[in-house]
Amino acid sequence: MLVDTFSTQWLSELDLSAIYLTLKLAGLTTLILLIISPPLAWWLARSKRFFRPFVESLVALPLVLPPTVLGFYLLLSFSPDSYLGAFWLQMTGSGLAFSFSGLLIASIIYSLPFVVQPLQSAFVNLDKNYLEVASTLGFSRSKTFYKVVLPMTLPSFIIAGALGFAHTIGEFGVVLMIGGNIPGETQVLSIALFDHVETLQYEQAHILSFSLLAFSMVLLMFIYGVLQKRQKRLYDA
Amino acid sequence: MLNKVPVQQLEFQLKKDKLFDFSGTIILQGICGVFGDSGAGKTSLVRALIGLDDDYSGNVSFAGEVWQGTNYFLKTEQRRVGMVFQEPRLFPHLDALGNLKIAKHKNSLYTIKQLAKALDFENLLNKKSIALSGGQKQRIAIARAILTAPKLLIMDEPLSSLDKHSRALLLPFIKQLAQQIPILYITHSMQELFYLATNMLLINNGSVEAIGEPLRLFLDPKLSLAKHAHSGLLLTVDSLTWDDQNAMLQGKVDGQAIYLAIANTRQEQSLQIKVESKDVIIATQPFMNSSLQNCLTTTIEQIEQISASHILLTLFLGEQRLQAKITIKSLHQLQLEVGQVVFSYVKAVSIIGELP
Repeated sequence: MLVDTFSTQWLSELDLSAIYLTLKLAGLTTLILLIISPPLAWWLARSKRFFRPFVESLVALPLVLPPTVLGFYLLLSFSPDSYLGAFWLQMTGSGLAFSFSGLLIASIIYSLPFVVQPLQSAFVNLDKNYLEVASTLGFSRSKTFYKVVLPMTLPSFIIAGALGFAHTIGEFGVVLMIGGNIPGETQVLSIALFDHVETLQYEQAHILSFSLLAFSMVLLMFIYGVLQKRQKRLYDA
Repeated sequence: MLNKVPVQQLEFQLKKDKLFDFSGTIILQGICGVFGDSGAGKTSLVRALIGLDDDYSGNVSFAGEVWQGTNYFLKTEQRRVGMVFQEPRLFPHLDALGNLKIAKHKNSLYTIKQLAKALDFENLLNKKSIALSGGQKQRIAIARAILTAPKLLIMDEPLSSLDKHSRALLLPFIKQLAQQIPILYITHSMQELFYLATNMLLINNGSVEAIGEPLRLFLDPKLSLAKHAHSGLLLTVDSLTWDDQNAMLQGKVDGQAIYLAIANTRQEQSLQIKVESKDVIIATQPFMNSSLQNCLTTTIEQIEQISASHILLTLFLGEQRLQAKITIKSLHQLQLEVGQVVFSYVKAVSIIGELP
């Protein structure tokens, strides 16, 4: 009841759907990144291959490039004329550009460094001595990961996940380039906000902006809270 | 009650650049000491043996199983070796019990409870590992290695940083444990070596210098042992009696009387003492007026120059031997030669006894 009144008064149906879409996109992106990033980060932290710096740079590119550049290339590769776009169309029957799936792929690439880098630095700093103990205790690779590496670097996993999530929520340029503005499919919060401003709906814009501001603040406080706890733990040990 | 472990053979040839070139065959039964100066390569050898360092070329096999060969490398986790590192390395995110549970193998000879009792950490099981002292951590680390049911246990100076209580508890335990699991025990303590080991690997300058019974290697003047600070031999003192009047322990070394200034807490008939070669004074005639008490009549068996200014004498007591480090100047002054009978005054001894 309360939510209903609130929503009808403060947030339009479209705004609510944009919020829902944003959370869904950020949630799925984070989930997928938390699955693919640990092995990648581990490889980046330990590998001595000559092409490691190349892979590392590739992962870090989204940090440097304007999102529109990334969006432009993604848009090209999503078009049915390109291999990826054509392959996707053949497999799923629908195009990648201006679709939620396309948005998801773009978000994963765009937020990758935010998840990989904290994990990589945690793995670099993980004391090799404990890995040696694990091997003398006869642990398999997966047992070492789940029983030693994961619990010892858990704060970094939390930070990596939260950063990936927060960064996806805040993305704008890439979405604009490849997602467009289709309500319920690709119209995420930041785009909806842009729409409100363009159409001079300042009150709506205020509400959305403030919600996003408050949410981001809470999330960042959580991240830094975890960091502080980790620092304290390091200090104690 | 205890079954003797089957005799197992460890064979290795391992090479790394120009730094290390280890090769040898050891029969592993009970405890084999790995002895040498710091920096000689003791830790490097065992790390290479169990596969923690994979940049050695060569081969390793244990009890008929190949661990390393040409284009073959069995990962450490598949070699079923237990390792006690110099520092305990307990997992910091687990409490003591967690560290033990995570390692427990179904074939382990001991339960956590038995080990907790034997190594006196029953009341520490629920403590976070960062809340434990160094000695407490190391006792748990030893238990953790044993719980993996290893076919070979490696201990890298496990007692070097421990308190007296932990050492006194661990040494007899390790000695007894070796009747079930063969142990390679790295140490630079001669007392630990003689207390524990029946066999030893002498490591010097990045290679295996000798393999054999500790006393035999210590007596061999050709080995690096004789030239180092640890030169000095162990003697067995028997027929112990307590001299009430002087409050000293009296005993005999190969029939000759010796007095030891230690408390009379012993029940045994014999004990072992270590006499440093620098603590032996040689005289061709008995001293009349001196505070030196322990004089042994000995025969010079060997004279060897160990540096520009120093000589090492091997002195025969009848069955056992002493070593004395004297200057070349003294040698010439006293005109010493092999076969000559001299008086050896022992300035100081350390008691080996049951425990170092």
